[in-house]
Amino acid sequence: MLTNYIKIAWKVLLRHPFYTFITLFGISLTLTVLIVLTSLMDHLIGSHYPETNRFRTLYVERMALTNKEKTMINSGSMSFKFLTDYAKTLKTPERVTIFSGDHKSNAYVGAQKIELNSRFTDAEYWRVLNFEFIEGKPFNEQNIANGDYVAVITDGFKKQYFNNSGELVVGKRIDIENVSYTVIGVVKGSPITRMFSYSDVFFPYTNPKSNYRSMEYGGSYMAMVQAKKEADLPAINEEFQARIKRIPITNIEAGFKDGSLEVRSEPFVQYFLNVLSEGDPARVATFYAIVGFILFMLIGLPVLNLVNLNVSRILERASEIGIRKAFGAPIRTLLWQFIIENIFITFIGGAIALMLTYALIYGINASGWIAYADLSINANIFIISLLICLVFGLLSGLIPALRMSKLNIADALKA
Amino acid sequence: MIRHLIKLIWNKKKAHSLLIAEIWASFLVLFGLCTLIVFNVRNYVQPLGFNYDNVWAINLSNNQDTTAVVEKTQQVLQRIKAYQEVESASLLSSELYPFSSSNNGTSATYKKRNTGVNFLATDENFAKTMSINTVAGRWYSRADVGGKYVPVVINRKTQEALFGNENPVGKVLADYYLKNKWIVMGVVDTYKDKGEFMQNKATLFEMTVPKSDWYKTLVIKVKPGTDAVFEANMLKAITAIVKDWNVQIVYLDAARKSKINQTLIPTLIFLIICGFLLINVALGLFGVLNVSIARRRGEIGLRRALGATESSISWQFIGEMWVLATFALVLGLLLAGQFPLLNVFDLDAGVYLVAMAVSVAVIYALVTLCAFYPGWQAAKLQPAVALHEE
Repeated sequence: MLTNYIKIAWKVLLRHPFYTFITLFGISLTLTVLIVLTSLMDHLIGSHYPETNRFRTLYVERMALTNKEKTMINSGSMSFKFLTDYAKTLKTPERVTIFSGDHKSNAYVGAQKIELNSRFTDAEYWRVLNFEFIEGKPFNEQNIANGDYVAVITDGFKKQYFNNSGELVVGKRIDIENVSYTVIGVVKGSPITRMFSYSDVFFPYTNPKSNYRSMEYGGSYMAMVQAKKEADLPAINEEFQARIKRIPITNIEAGFKDGSLEVRSEPFVQYFLNVLSEGDPARVATFYAIVGFILFMLIGLPVLNLVNLNVSRILERASEIGIRKAFGAPIRTLLWQFIIENIFITFIGGAIALMLTYALIYGINASGWIAYADLSINANIFIISLLICLVFGLLSGLIPALRMSKLNIADALKA
Repeated sequence: MIRHLIKLIWNKKKAHSLLIAEIWASFLVLFGLCTLIVFNVRNYVQPLGFNYDNVWAINLSNNQDTTAVVEKTQQVLQRIKAYQEVESASLLSSELYPFSSSNNGTSATYKKRNTGVNFLATDENFAKTMSINTVAGRWYSRADVGGKYVPVVINRKTQEALFGNENPVGKVLADYYLKNKWIVMGVVDTYKDKGEFMQNKATLFEMTVPKSDWYKTLVIKVKPGTDAVFEANMLKAITAIVKDWNVQIVYLDAARKSKINQTLIPTLIFLIICGFLLINVALGLFGVLNVSIARRRGEIGLRRALGATESSISWQFIGEMWVLATFALVLGLLLAGQFPLLNVFDLDAGVYLVAMAVSVAVIYALVTLCAFYPGWQAAKLQPAVALHEE
């Protein structure tokens, strides 16, 4: 039966190339946009190189100090000491790494200026993140204790600094802000969209410019807390929050005495939403409203369009419907036939959309819009795309199918 | 004629309700897009208010070195001014150079009138370095310091908010705590430091206070043609003065480009997606009209036989679409009208009104285009052929 329906659908497609074009154009474009968006979302929040353990990691990115009267909020990253005292010593996690946010500086090679991002990290950073070392190795606890002037650089920075020469650069020296460092390792760079791993150059935190000795609570550091398995995350958060609660806020900068301190440790998706909304619930609501409206329009408009076209083309199929009805086909059978036909067409559109998406993603990755972008169509995205196709097919097929199956036998046969 | 068209449409309201819904939804999408574009264009045409050519920003951060920060910063400033490649240099609030991602806001009050302002502290050379012209009064100078009030310069937006038509020069402003603090020395036209697409906002420049370590960013104007070799030498000289500090040099034209892209790229993506959606809708409408007009051959034949001209047949179909579109647009405008009324997103009502007008025009153009070809084909029909089929 199913093959019959599909055969009929195919014949109908071939009968009017112009309408087929309109239909497939609409379907494949809509699905392309949706699949590219899915892929982008996956790029932003999924576990990808080098943050492949995101699902079992908690992010401690900022603290918020509120004064007693709740009139002032001071929010920002933390100091190295603060994180060492309250995050590094946690018992439940597998590993904790402390590292600074990225910092812009310049390097000069002859008459050329290179703008670069650098960050200071501990040795654990290289175990929490799965960087791929093209050359050399990461700096270890020994380098840090010695205060060595070493640096891990990315392949992109190597290309810029060493003028594209293919030779090995481990052991060579680089000059950044007039300080000379020895290259200890070269890693494959991370996309600019991953703010915990994106950088051109990584220094040990004992670098004199790193500010790691600061005694204040606030600073430029954050932490990633990695659990052995995802299920441990709530327990880790509990332990961390219990510690934060015990921090005395009496000996803190003026104005915030006896205030309250909030330091969240949260999984990436939650962290990401908080960044988008800046922690303001009203903004979360607006954000969802806008996204909802855009998605609604993005799907709703093409669906309406398709429904309109199919409804107005009902009479093309009138004789077929009339005959089938006259021979006793119930409404439900006809309904299913048309819905299946529609889903079949949607899947053809979906296949075209996947190809278009592939081309688009290739274009985005190659264009350098997002440095080191690695958008892809993986199994998850493929399954989500199939689901989107199914929903789209059902939505756009239901009303026309209902109208068709309800056609009067006499009218249908006469037309 | 119009009553007749409305009656024709009313008779087939069930079939037409979906079409109306589609046009309605298209209008809303267009309205969203036009609002975004109109908003950005209106911002874009306002002048920037300064010149960023050959201007560099230098950000200093002292890290753990807390001894003699002010003196060292002054030393750096003097060293930079001594270069003959540097035409002018100015010290300002940390990280608040033009096109930076930092913001600083406060509020200013004059005789019970209050406005939020972007706040920036600079020294006396800022206007010269950034080529800012005053439209009234003058930029503050070293000689203005030491009086009872701190000298400030405001932009025209601040003037409008606080003074209306009054001349602000020489007037005293109160700060956030309503304490009289500032004296207005001059007025500049605009200062859109976040780039061309930034909304023209109220701004207040304050003369830097001596002995404060808040000011660790410099802007310098260099002679045209100055290159990275000079830059590297200068950096070397700076780091010789402040050894463990971070020194970051930013070219303002590069910073401006990335600021502009932050607005331009999302708008372009939105424009492309909406463009395709509308093409989709246009094709769909065209298909629907093609089918439905082809089905009304009998009616067309009859009208032709009774003497209707070709153009009156064409116009009938276009007219029908216009009536349909008007229904949809009235519904759409009712919804879109809520945006200026409820002041959603805090935009000027004019932006919404222009966006509505543009969207309405585009929708009418779209339906006309879609109805034109099927209508024209129907009009060519020979009455004999059409009636023969019945």
